[in-house]
Amino acid sequence: MEFITNSVSETIDIGKKIGGASKAGDIICIDGELGSGKTHLTKGIALGLGINEYITSPTFTLVNEYEGRLRLYHFDVYRIDDPDEIEAIGFDEYIFSDAVSVIEWSDLIRDLIPEEHIQINISKDSAKGDNVRRIKIGWQGKRYDYMKEIL
Amino acid sequence: MKILGIDTATEAATCAVLDDDKLLGEIVFNYKKQHSVILMEMIDSLLKNLKLDIKDMDGFAVSEGPGSFTGLRIGAAAVKGLSQGTKKPFTGISTLDSLAFNLAYTQGTICPVMDALRGNVYTALYEFENEILVRESDYLVISVEELIGLINEKGCSVCFVGDGTLLHKEILKSAIPGARFAPLHLNVAKASSLAELGMRKLKNNEADDLKTFAPFYLRKSQAEREYDKKQKEIENGQH
Repeated sequence: MEFITNSVSETIDIGKKIGGASKAGDIICIDGELGSGKTHLTKGIALGLGINEYITSPTFTLVNEYEGRLRLYHFDVYRIDDPDEIEAIGFDEYIFSDAVSVIEWSDLIRDLIPEEHIQINISKDSAKGDNVRRIKIGWQGKRYDYMKEIL
Repeated sequence: MKILGIDTATEAATCAVLDDDKLLGEIVFNYKKQHSVILMEMIDSLLKNLKLDIKDMDGFAVSEGPGSFTGLRIGAAAVKGLSQGTKKPFTGISTLDSLAFNLAYTQGTICPVMDALRGNVYTALYEFENEILVRESDYLVISVEELIGLINEKGCSVCFVGDGTLLHKEILKSAIPGARFAPLHLNVAKASSLAELGMRKLKNNEADDLKTFAPFYLRKSQAEREYDKKQKEIENGQH
């Protein structure tokens, strides 16, 4: 499915809906160019999980952890040169846990992403305005069918 | 000689104090990985109940891996700190050796299996020769199917131990006739088991070096992962 948002707060609202319904062990991949709003979407997911902490992109720490209704692992693998690097921090232990994992720039570590996951692609639609975003959401695996209901 | 053993390589967080001929005390929590939160409290509580101080320890033993990456780092960091602070030696013991030692003097092959995620296990094959634990394979990270192949090829009587059996018991049982499984009280990483192996090493002056010691992660290489993926695609008829 595809959504058009006209402001940061509309993008965050979509994230909130996803975070509000997320289940333990969910893996959410978010891809899109720099400045497209990946981290804003993640902020929404965090709010939906009941996390009110300030969310920043873990570009240098690779992963940030937050406690909410479920624990959230927020990855940003933009800086990764080789999937081995992220595997070496114990990536599998994070994503195969009871937490919700959000992975920005997941395309860079495609080999490590399990088949079953939610895939979100976000892009600017500059022709329609500076703050307009096109958000495509798809998923693999029955466990994510609940997405149909919430969006 | 009093040894404090710590094992945080699996879901279990455990610590134990061992004297030469006696296990003085042991704590095991086999519930949710929360090692960084509870480990120091566990050690403190164990020592207090034994009326001992950390300075009374003559050395330390820690699980060096394979196992949970985060868990191994927690254990290594804790033991390095304790060793440096008390100026007492420490030694790393393979988590697999320690699990195999849980089943001391079992006849036939002892096979510890630890969950390595994505259908893989950390494993190795052992036998007891007289009173000595002898490892008969490399430390391996392989799929459960590969492990079954390995054991059936060897045609040995085998006893499994470790948290990997929780996940893979049914498939191991049906694919390996006569396979046995450790009873629950032995099917968990025990710091006492680790500490005993560690004491032997420390008595042999085989301490590890504070500056160079690092966990033994045992990972599949990128090439192995790609090969696995290809095999899986072929199995699923995607080629």
